[in-house]
Amino acid sequence: MDIRICYLYPEMMNIYGDRGNVTALVRRCRWRGIPVDVEGLGLSEKVKPDRYDIFFMGGGQDREQVLVCHDLLENKGDAIRREIERGAAALVICGGYQLFGKYYRPFDGEKLPGINVFDAYTVAGENRMIGNVVAKSALGGRFGTVVGFENHSGKTYLGKESAPLGMVTVGSGNNGEDRTEGAVHLGAVGTYLHGSLLPKNPGLADFLIERGLARRGERSSLKPLDDTLEWRAHREAVARARKTH
Amino acid sequence: MGTKGRSALLIGKALGSASRILRFGGGSTLPGRVARKIDPAFVRSMVDGLPLGCVLITGTNGKTTTTTLLASILEGAGITPVHNRTGANLMAGLASALIRDSDLAGTLTGRIGLFEVDEAALPDAVADTSPRLVLINNLFRDQLDRYGELDTLASRMKEAISTLERDATVALNADDPLVASVGRGLDQAVVYYGIDTDSCSSRLMQHAADSKHCSECGSPLSYEYHLFGHLGRYSCTKCGLARPEAQVAATELGVMGLEGTRCTISHPGGSISLFIPLPGLYNVYNVLAAFAVGTALEIDVEIIGHAVEKFTAAFGRVEKVRVGDRDLLMILAKNPAGMGEVLRTLAGERVWKNILLALNDNIADGRDVSWIWDVDLEMLSGQLREVVCSGIRAWDMALRVKYAELGQGSLVTEPDLERALDIGLEAVEPGDTLFVIPTYTAMLELRKILTERGLVTPFWEG
Repeated sequence: MDIRICYLYPEMMNIYGDRGNVTALVRRCRWRGIPVDVEGLGLSEKVKPDRYDIFFMGGGQDREQVLVCHDLLENKGDAIRREIERGAAALVICGGYQLFGKYYRPFDGEKLPGINVFDAYTVAGENRMIGNVVAKSALGGRFGTVVGFENHSGKTYLGKESAPLGMVTVGSGNNGEDRTEGAVHLGAVGTYLHGSLLPKNPGLADFLIERGLARRGERSSLKPLDDTLEWRAHREAVARARKTH
Repeated sequence: MGTKGRSALLIGKALGSASRILRFGGGSTLPGRVARKIDPAFVRSMVDGLPLGCVLITGTNGKTTTTTLLASILEGAGITPVHNRTGANLMAGLASALIRDSDLAGTLTGRIGLFEVDEAALPDAVADTSPRLVLINNLFRDQLDRYGELDTLASRMKEAISTLERDATVALNADDPLVASVGRGLDQAVVYYGIDTDSCSSRLMQHAADSKHCSECGSPLSYEYHLFGHLGRYSCTKCGLARPEAQVAATELGVMGLEGTRCTISHPGGSISLFIPLPGLYNVYNVLAAFAVGTALEIDVEIIGHAVEKFTAAFGRVEKVRVGDRDLLMILAKNPAGMGEVLRTLAGERVWKNILLALNDNIADGRDVSWIWDVDLEMLSGQLREVVCSGIRAWDMALRVKYAELGQGSLVTEPDLERALDIGLEAVEPGDTLFVIPTYTAMLELRKILTERGLVTPFWEG
């Protein structure tokens, strides 16, 4: 059974090394002998039903984000939401995360509607939240933590239908107020952490791969990999995060 | 100069000599910081004493190299510049250079101000120095945690530049769509420079490309060819905006690996062929930038060409050091575009390589190290004997290398730079070279280690 990854707007939504997440998914599948394909999907292209097991989208600059917002609503949003309800996994970061919520409200101008995968909304904030982040998370794997770097001014608030990805112990997270970071709905994960996130959070990477396989009807657990280097990088990044705050 | 300005200067001078004697480092920012505290108009009153005015050089990559090259061009033309040669490029750095290059009465030893300026500090520098010329070399993602987005940065720069005197000149890289857009609709004279040949181009854009959309209408840009990052010959698919004609242009290029590049440069007065003794296309742009400024200042082209041919890189940018029977080549790489270009140059040398990647995340490097995932390390696949990852973020770098699957070479992770350097050198065969690619503060640290071993001279004596 092979896995097909849909990389949403690879040209426009890739601002902080986001593509490293796709690299991590691909390598971790191939190292286990699981065939994997990546397809980029740009403006005006449609999401074919039952074609993708994992969706990925990164962050972009403001101008790109507005273009993408319109295109998501017009061409892809309903289909992506339906695929996730049917078991597809997703990882969306920063701007991608915001657009997968209910809406984004800027300081001035119109509300940008999202595609409603997460029960979450975002409002423009005064201050940029920038720095290393550590959050306790059930999806974190061995140490129960995720670690990454955040850089956003939008403040995201979760509704009842979406659980947070974790609770921050270092950094700001969703809004700098309630300690939540990210959102999870079924197999979809939204987060402000880039860095790239998946290489040094192998637990989260494998969660997405497992979901992707399950979607293909493969329910056996994943072959373990030698993650010595990954976990070492994870622990060092956590230590560095504590030190730089 | 008023009383305040005079005491600012004297205290600044005292701090400068104290820090040199006590070896805090070069005293390249502290004197200026204190002087500006005492007299906020310090820089303005000092540059009034420069008969030939000021030139400001900014952009993400190549500021120090371009400015250092211009300094030797100016020296060659008999014009001594006041120059922030240590690379301290915030306002405190400019002020420190003015303190250092003046006597106790505030009389400057140079006749023209030549300053490299941090991209975000450009508006302040323009307000305080009223420059006769401003050059923007390129705009890449670099420490977005500090600057915010590129589009915002570019519009802030344009706003500052539009306040220049009407007879001022603006020199812009025509091949960078965002930089070129700064020149549209300006009252001041604009000189564009760029590469007019596709002999070093590629059909594919690299991943570190940042400005892929038209600055006027937001539509995607189409490229006839790419040079590096988002630099190339572009036009808008919708509104017809195109890369402007370059008045200073490289019309022929012959890359000679790490040795340098042969090129022919056309300029308003004719054309000249020369050898650039620095590797990579990014250094071709630095030389074109220096040509654009030099010709705008009406310096003889032969003098410019001569200065280019005998140029050695600004400290740490590219530095070759002999260590016993081995060579060490250090090339600074502080952002994805810069590092990509360094690796591309290395990949062009078809030999087995030992490399040391040193990644720090201090404030001056940028706290965020995610940019290493935008660098196509994969292009070195199958060419590496040993990779040593070092610096504060050694383990992040090691993961990047692991996920790039570079082939047979071994991977060693050693965060301590001095130990990493020794590990790296030991693995090099006698007569061979260790390629060291550090971020900014890692470069400073490595240089300090090499200085202590007596292999290089401290930068403030350079």
